[in-house]
Amino acid sequence: MSNKYLEVTNLKKSFGGLKAVDVQSLNLNRNELTSIIGPNGAGKTTFFDLISGFQDSDEGKVFLNKKNITKSQPYSIARLGMIRTFQLTKVFDRMTVLENMMFSASSVNNDSFMKSLIRLPSQKTTEKNIKEKSFEIMKDLNIDHMANSYARELSGGQKKLLELGRSIVNDPSILLLDEPLAGVNPKLAEEILQIILNLSEKGISILMVEHNIEAVMKISQRVVVLAEGMVIADDIPENVRTDEKVIEAYLGSENE
Amino acid sequence: MKFTFKSSFTILLTISSIFLVFLLNEEGEIPILFNLLTFAGIYGLAAIGLNVHFGLTGLLNFGHAAFMGLGAYVTVLLIPHAAGREGVVVTTGLPFFLALLIGIISAALFGLLLGLPAIRLRGDYLAIVTIAAAEIFRLLVRDLESVTGGVYGIINFSNSLQQYRSGFIDNFASSNELNPSQIWIAFLSWTSIILVLLLLRRLTNSPWGRALRAVREDEDAVRALGKNAVWLKLQSFMLGAGIAGLSGVLLAFNYGTIQVSTFVPILTFYVWAIMILGGVGSLTGPIFGSIIFWVIISETTGIAQLIFENANGQQIAGVRFVLVGLLIMLLMIFRPSGLMGKKEELLLDVK
Repeated sequence: MSNKYLEVTNLKKSFGGLKAVDVQSLNLNRNELTSIIGPNGAGKTTFFDLISGFQDSDEGKVFLNKKNITKSQPYSIARLGMIRTFQLTKVFDRMTVLENMMFSASSVNNDSFMKSLIRLPSQKTTEKNIKEKSFEIMKDLNIDHMANSYARELSGGQKKLLELGRSIVNDPSILLLDEPLAGVNPKLAEEILQIILNLSEKGISILMVEHNIEAVMKISQRVVVLAEGMVIADDIPENVRTDEKVIEAYLGSENE
Repeated sequence: MKFTFKSSFTILLTISSIFLVFLLNEEGEIPILFNLLTFAGIYGLAAIGLNVHFGLTGLLNFGHAAFMGLGAYVTVLLIPHAAGREGVVVTTGLPFFLALLIGIISAALFGLLLGLPAIRLRGDYLAIVTIAAAEIFRLLVRDLESVTGGVYGIINFSNSLQQYRSGFIDNFASSNELNPSQIWIAFLSWTSIILVLLLLRRLTNSPWGRALRAVREDEDAVRALGKNAVWLKLQSFMLGAGIAGLSGVLLAFNYGTIQVSTFVPILTFYVWAIMILGGVGSLTGPIFGSIIFWVIISETTGIAQLIFENANGQQIAGVRFVLVGLLIMLLMIFRPSGLMGKKEELLLDVK
C-alpha cells in the first residue's frame, strides 16, 4: 500500500486575475505531521478549501487514498475520514458543548428521520455510546465541566478545543487544521500543540496551516511553504528555516 | 412544558386576552370567542410548521401561504366540489381523509421542489426565492381557471368533512348557539395541533432534531463533519410544508369556500407575526402567540371604537396594524425571544 494519503497534481484556482493557488504537485505521507506556512494571502486557506471540497478548483486533481475527490462534496470527503477545522472557529453556538460533540460523533444513519421518529432501541444504545465517547474526549481536552453550557459561552480558546474535539470524536484518519493556535493565549497554545502531537503519535495524519512559525518548526516533521499560491519549499523544518527563497518570501527580496 | 415564570406569564397573558373579548363585547361573546379560537388553531398550526423551518433549521421561508394553499387546493379538488364561474360540479371524488393525505404530501413535495434550487441559498436570498415562488403559485392558481376555478374559487366541498362530524359537537354547538361546522373545524385544528406537537417533540429531542439545529447554527461545520446539510434542509422543508398544508386544508374548510385571495403574502406575514410572538424555536409558543394575535385581530373594532367614535373600516384596519406592530415592538424590547422562546436560543439574527 502506498504511503501517500493525499496526492495533488497541477491544482489551480484564480479569483479574477489573482492566482490564489497554483500547486504543481504535492504528496502527503501517512502518519506525518505536515505544516503549511506562508505569508498572508499565500493561498493556504484556499488550498485547504480546494482539497476539502469547499471550493471548486479551476484545474487539477486531488486524490485521497487513490480516490479522486476533485469534484466531491465536503461531506463525502469528510466521510472518507478527512476532517477539517476552520480558521475562524465554527462551533454550534446555540447548542450545548455536549450536543456539539454528540452531533459530530453521531453517524448519518443514527441521525435519520425515520429512526428518530420510530425511536428504535438501537438508536438509544448508539446515543449512550457516543455520549460516553464524547465525555472521554471532553475530559482529555479539559472542557468536560462545560458539557451542558451553550457553546457560545465558551472562551475563544475553549472554542478551539471544542472544535478540535468535535473533529476527532469520529476517529478521522486525516486532520486538516486551519490555524489551530490563532488567537489563543501562549499557555493554551502549548496545550493544543501537545494535543496535536499526541494525535499524530496515535497515527492520525495531520496537515496544519499555522502562522506561529516557532510552534510549526517545533512539532512538524515536514514544512511546506506557499507563496503566491505556489510551493516554494518543501522539506524538513531545519532546511526550510535556512531556505533563501523562504526568507525572501517572508521578508521581501533585497532588490526591491 | 414546565410551569416557570415564562410559561405562567404567557398563560396569564393569554387568559387576559381572552378576558378582553368579554370586556369589549356586550353580547355574543361565546360565538366571537369560538370564531377566533378556530382561526387561532389553524394559524397556530401553520406557525408551528414555520417554526420547523425557521426556529429549528434556520430557513427563512416567506412563502408559507403557498404551502398552505397547495395543500388546500389539492385536497379540495380531489373531493366532490363545484369550481369556477359556471360552478362546474364534480360529484365524484376520493374519500376526504385520502384526499387530505395526498394534499399534505403534495405540500411537502412542493417544499422539496421549491427547496431544490433554493436550498443552497442562505438567509435573505432564500426569503426572496420563497416569496417569489409563493406569488408564482398564487398567480398560476388564479389563471388556471379551468382547474382551480380561478378568481371564482371553489365551493360546495364542505360536506366531505362535515359528514364525519360527531354528535357531541352538534350537541355542544346547539346548546351554546354556535355554528356546528365551525366548532368541528375548531376541534379538528386543536386536535391536529396536539398531534403535531407530540410528533415534533419526539423529533426535536432526537438525533435528527440535533442535526437540524446544527444546520441552523453553521452549515459549513455540518458539511465539514460529514453530514449532508442540503438533505437535512430539504427534510425540514418538507416536514414544515406538510404541516402548513394541513393548516391550509383546515382554513379552506373553515371558510367553506376556497378563494385565491386567501393565500396572499399577508397570510405568510400573519403566520410570521404569530411565530415571533409565541417564541421562535419554541414548540408550544405559537399556540399562545396565535390566540393573542387573533384576539387583537378580532377585537380591533372594539379597540378602535375606544379611540375613534364610530370608527370606519379604514380606521379599524389602521388600528389593527398599529396594534399588531405595537405588540411586536413591545415584545422585541422586553421579550426579544418571544413569549415562550429561550433567551439563549434567540434566533432573530439570521446569518
